[in-house]
Amino acid sequence: MNLDVVFSGVGGQGVVVLSDIYCEAAMLDGFDVAKAEIHGMAQRGGSIVAYARIGAKVESPLIETGKADAIVGFEILETARALPMLKQHGTVIVNKKYIPPNCMVAGAKPKKAEDLMALVRAKALVHEVDGIGIAQKLGNLLVVNTILLGALSALPEIPVKTVSFEQAIAGKIKEKYVNLNLKAFQLGRESVLMS
Amino acid sequence: MTSKIAADKPGSFALLNGDEAVARGAVEATVKVAAAYPGTPATEILESIAEVAKEFGIYAEWSINEIVAAEVAAGASMAGVRSMVSMKHVGLNVAADAVMTLAYTGVEGGLVIAVCDDPALHSSQNEQDTRFFAVHSKLPLLDAGSPQEAHDMAREAFEISEKLGLPVILRLTTRVAHGKARVKLGTFQKISRRADFDKNGSKWVMVPSNAIRQHRVLEGRLAEAKRLAENSGFNVLEDNGCEIGIVGSGVGYYYARSVLNTKKFSWLKLGFVHPFPEEAVKKFASKVKKLIVIEELRPYIEENIQRLCLQVSGKIQLGLEEIGEFTPDNIRQALAKQGLTTQTEKQEPVDLPPRPPALCPGCPHRAFYYALNMVNQSVNCDTDKCVGCDICEYACSFEKEKVFNPLKSRIRSVRINQTLNTAVTCKACINAPCIKACPEEAITQSKETGSIVLDETKCKGCDWCIEACKYGAITRHPTTHKAMVCDRCDGDPKCIPACPESALSLGGKSNDKIVTGDIGCYTLGVLPPVNAVQSCLCMGAGISQAAGMIHAGVKDKVFSVIGDSTFFHGGMPGLLNIVYNKANVCVIVMDNSVVAMTGHQPTPGSGKTAMGTDAKIVKIQDIAKAVGIEKVEVIDPYDIKTATAKIRETIEYNGPSVIISQRPCPLLIERGKPREIKEECNACGICVKAFGCPAISLQKDHAEIDSSLCYGCGVCETVCQFDAIRRKEK
Repeated sequence: MNLDVVFSGVGGQGVVVLSDIYCEAAMLDGFDVAKAEIHGMAQRGGSIVAYARIGAKVESPLIETGKADAIVGFEILETARALPMLKQHGTVIVNKKYIPPNCMVAGAKPKKAEDLMALVRAKALVHEVDGIGIAQKLGNLLVVNTILLGALSALPEIPVKTVSFEQAIAGKIKEKYVNLNLKAFQLGRESVLMS
Repeated sequence: MTSKIAADKPGSFALLNGDEAVARGAVEATVKVAAAYPGTPATEILESIAEVAKEFGIYAEWSINEIVAAEVAAGASMAGVRSMVSMKHVGLNVAADAVMTLAYTGVEGGLVIAVCDDPALHSSQNEQDTRFFAVHSKLPLLDAGSPQEAHDMAREAFEISEKLGLPVILRLTTRVAHGKARVKLGTFQKISRRADFDKNGSKWVMVPSNAIRQHRVLEGRLAEAKRLAENSGFNVLEDNGCEIGIVGSGVGYYYARSVLNTKKFSWLKLGFVHPFPEEAVKKFASKVKKLIVIEELRPYIEENIQRLCLQVSGKIQLGLEEIGEFTPDNIRQALAKQGLTTQTEKQEPVDLPPRPPALCPGCPHRAFYYALNMVNQSVNCDTDKCVGCDICEYACSFEKEKVFNPLKSRIRSVRINQTLNTAVTCKACINAPCIKACPEEAITQSKETGSIVLDETKCKGCDWCIEACKYGAITRHPTTHKAMVCDRCDGDPKCIPACPESALSLGGKSNDKIVTGDIGCYTLGVLPPVNAVQSCLCMGAGISQAAGMIHAGVKDKVFSVIGDSTFFHGGMPGLLNIVYNKANVCVIVMDNSVVAMTGHQPTPGSGKTAMGTDAKIVKIQDIAKAVGIEKVEVIDPYDIKTATAKIRETIEYNGPSVIISQRPCPLLIERGKPREIKEECNACGICVKAFGCPAISLQKDHAEIDSSLCYGCGVCETVCQFDAIRRKEK
């Protein structure tokens, strides 16, 4: 059986890098991995989604609708957008940050963050992570995604070892930021374990 | 950190995308020369090779376009070394002239043409299927369905190329090129060759007598290629002794495997797909009762199987389209209809506001488009806000005549129906019909601002201009009986601040200028609210399309917008052509000195090469002057006033002209101080609805700037007509 995770956010939030670290960690534990993402035109400020699949053998990189085990949402609207991917009673880790899209331009009706969260809660087991709050405590707003990775690592369904996550972070992040990110990972982890 | 593809650890795994895997395979196979032009989703092939080029003694370059890249690779191959050229699918059209005849000349050192198709057009202008180019050019083609295959095929392709004496096409699709997976690395081969060219070989000289001979040689090589395809390890047969056999290629084949119980079917994965391995397929067909084909885009395998007079279920029988990409969802749906798997539960769609791609905050393209839209600037009225109170008319008549008399106003409040009101005034048309209509030459247009100016001493009150104006914006003075027209109060219209509903704003949206576009970030200028660009065909097309319209006799002023890299790629011949054949196009080069869309690769204007060495900076203004353009302007797009004035100058100018809008891509430079909204903001919305910066959003009674998104370009300060935006201190 494969374990399928959807990473969803807005261009520039680090969705691709984070899903890479997750896959690198899974590979350290001997899992086969495949992931999909889109670069180029789709990247300019638009919605970004990356699919990461791990297992003994992974045949293809895309996740089926309604089959994802978990969603890691970097932003509330994009989390709600990824919901149809999630299986019934799947898990959602959501960063409590709402970036409203430019509705004036798109001609669509805006939604309130609370309404979007209600949609998410109706379908999934939700772990809300105050990524920005924790990051502020660490004094660097750029570690929000590592905090989310820590939260993901704490889910019981994720079979990847904590030490592998830490090793993958150390392999991917610039040396002088490694300790900061390991701390962020730990705090993210605790935010789920303590809740 | 060293590059992922440089690790000398054969047998170990790395997380690579398809492009990186191709690069690794090529480096393992001792590629010596690699050339490419950036294009999603193929960019990272050359990028990854360039990153390790010095370490491995490779020469890597960003060529100015795909045919040049193909010719560079061909030259290296003629000199006996292994070479690679990579491109996106449409790039192969550009390179086609070289590639078609390269099939005749053949190669000396192995030459691999790596091509990435883009089903579903994630970042492209068409969905062509490169497998058919292989048929067209008679070249062997390997079709990769995963990063591991991409790696193995790239490595093997050089061997095949040298065995056959032919270039080999390696095809990827977006989900392979930009999908990452665990890839098992191979050893670095030890092949050392001295570059040398046999000057006596007639096979390189494709004059007719040689070429017809080489055509025969090609047919022989193709027959040999077919033998290789029949026995290729890339065509993998998995015989599970089942009734139904599934044949496929590319990533679609793996979707089928992931939605089916693989043990209940027999499988044939085709990787060496051209020449078509007929015998291998016949053998597979003989083991099963029914054949199903799963392949994205066109039915290449399906038609080849039909040619063998075998029954097969393909596109039509399965209800799978040639349009768009496959997903596990649509494959499951198709196979479930055949009773081969189960349907999954339908998911409730969620109705959410979209988040489309947009030009980034601080993007100089947005600023330039704003200036372009402003060229025929006029006072516009938002019908959602206008209540028909007529206060604008009073404000105007007081400003112009010092009386409160709506009949003496240059702006007219109009009731469209019982609930819908608007205000109408001069739209400052390009080639304004009122000017042509006036028999007394009393109406002129300001060169700087585009305002329509009426000389009352010449006006005889004949009313012809009133009839000529399609907006009904010219009126008759009640006492002097002369024409009245809005002059926008020298750029500071008094009606705007007077409007109690903030319904009026100074804006421009042309419907009397044509703007042809091209391919790059600036293509996003087609989206609202910018709406500035009206075409996008292929690299460099905009300039010549504009010329074609002019020769066809269009009345409107025609502009052509093109990026710097696209200009070097395919725009230069078009520019020379409008000089030679005299078309009064105003060519606008959006110069951000980088290929921004594909991830900031250098251009001939950047002063750097793919390998990071210094290069001569080629200036676009020099090229424009050299081909004979006499009016060349270089402007800073952040300076909207000057930009608008220069654009206007080109409208009056009789001859082809070039405006170079020069500003580096903001993603490459340090951010400026973010801006913030002041109390003066009255939520008129121009910064959101006309300028459209993603960092600004409109709340109920004011605008808001997200300082984490703001790049601090400050253009919004110019755009705001109420002086309500300032630099954020602290």
